[in-house]
Amino acid sequence: MASNKAARIGEDVWKSRTEKINTEIVTLTYGTIVSSLCRDLLLPNTTSTTDYAAVNAELDRMGYNIGLRLIEDFLAKSNTGACQNLRETAEVISKTGFKIFLNITPVVSGWSSDGKSFGLVFEENPLADFVELPDDGRAQEELWYSNILCGVLRGALEMVQMQVDVRFVSDVLRGNDTTEMRVTLLKYIEDEMPPDDE
Amino acid sequence: MEARIPSIACIGVIGRHNNPLHISLFPAIGPNSTQEPRDKLAFTFMLNSSLDIFEARMPSKTSQDFGLLHALDERIALYGWLTNTGVKLVIVVDMEGRIAPTPEAAKIGVLGLRGGDLLPAFNALQTAYVRLLQNPFYVPDDHDPKLVRGHRALEIQSPKFIREVERTGQAWYPGIVTI
Repeated sequence: MASNKAARIGEDVWKSRTEKINTEIVTLTYGTIVSSLCRDLLLPNTTSTTDYAAVNAELDRMGYNIGLRLIEDFLAKSNTGACQNLRETAEVISKTGFKIFLNITPVVSGWSSDGKSFGLVFEENPLADFVELPDDGRAQEELWYSNILCGVLRGALEMVQMQVDVRFVSDVLRGNDTTEMRVTLLKYIEDEMPPDDE
Repeated sequence: MEARIPSIACIGVIGRHNNPLHISLFPAIGPNSTQEPRDKLAFTFMLNSSLDIFEARMPSKTSQDFGLLHALDERIALYGWLTNTGVKLVIVVDMEGRIAPTPEAAKIGVLGLRGGDLLPAFNALQTAYVRLLQNPFYVPDDHDPKLVRGHRALEIQSPKFIREVERTGQAWYPGIVTI
């Protein structure tokens, strides 16, 4: 029910109210960002060994900044009201959010038993078209290429009072069968009163 | 004596500064379907000598397909393709490289190769090269001998590209439309 409505909204907005851009420009730009980070963020005291953990953290931080701003654009374009629960949130993210901005609809699956965590399985990932991870033995184990998406979700959800932990658990670039992202709700953020009052 | 048809013996990708980026060899199928390996050094020399032909014909040629560069002897012929960025794709064809699977195919072998027969192979190679360039972790400058300092492998390492080249070389036969 909610997913059909979310899908319909996503489809409408994608068709009518978004400016389109060539996908290769997005792929190449994102690729340059990641490979620049890999060249610049090196392990201390080495000249050319990349610190992939730092690259992942930096991509997440960049995504976080994007997410904080993107949520306003999303709410304005899609006109959805507040979601009642996490399930509705998951459907809106996958059918409306990703559809509007990347024209993909990851599949929501793998709900945990307490209902606080779900997985998003990406059948296609436009950011990672034609990418092959570098062959230095460690990139395959340590780099999450599309980590910026985790940051975007984290930042966007924080602006709607949800604190979440988002991380990739598998990636086809690493040789796994699917690309899957795990979203876990940590808590709802209550607005806090400023410390001083009259 | 079984009828034989041409097959690709070697594919070479050469950069704009005449530096070899990749060389793939494909064994000939000898009598009784044994595989005869190719001599890498001999083919490297062949590719090297074909570079002169590119330079000699460069001013007059307007299109990208250089067609038949040079027929070495009755068996070996070299075909070339120059991209706008100066990267050269060279395919060495062995006229008796493979046993004809069907009598129809054998007739093609007798007629010889036409100019457009290698076009699908060159298109497939060019597509593979374009895909390689779209990989953000492939830095073309790292394979340029004039820009690289120090000792690093100058040839293309990407497994996807190498796989695609091998697939093209093995799948080609005269008259194929797309690879």
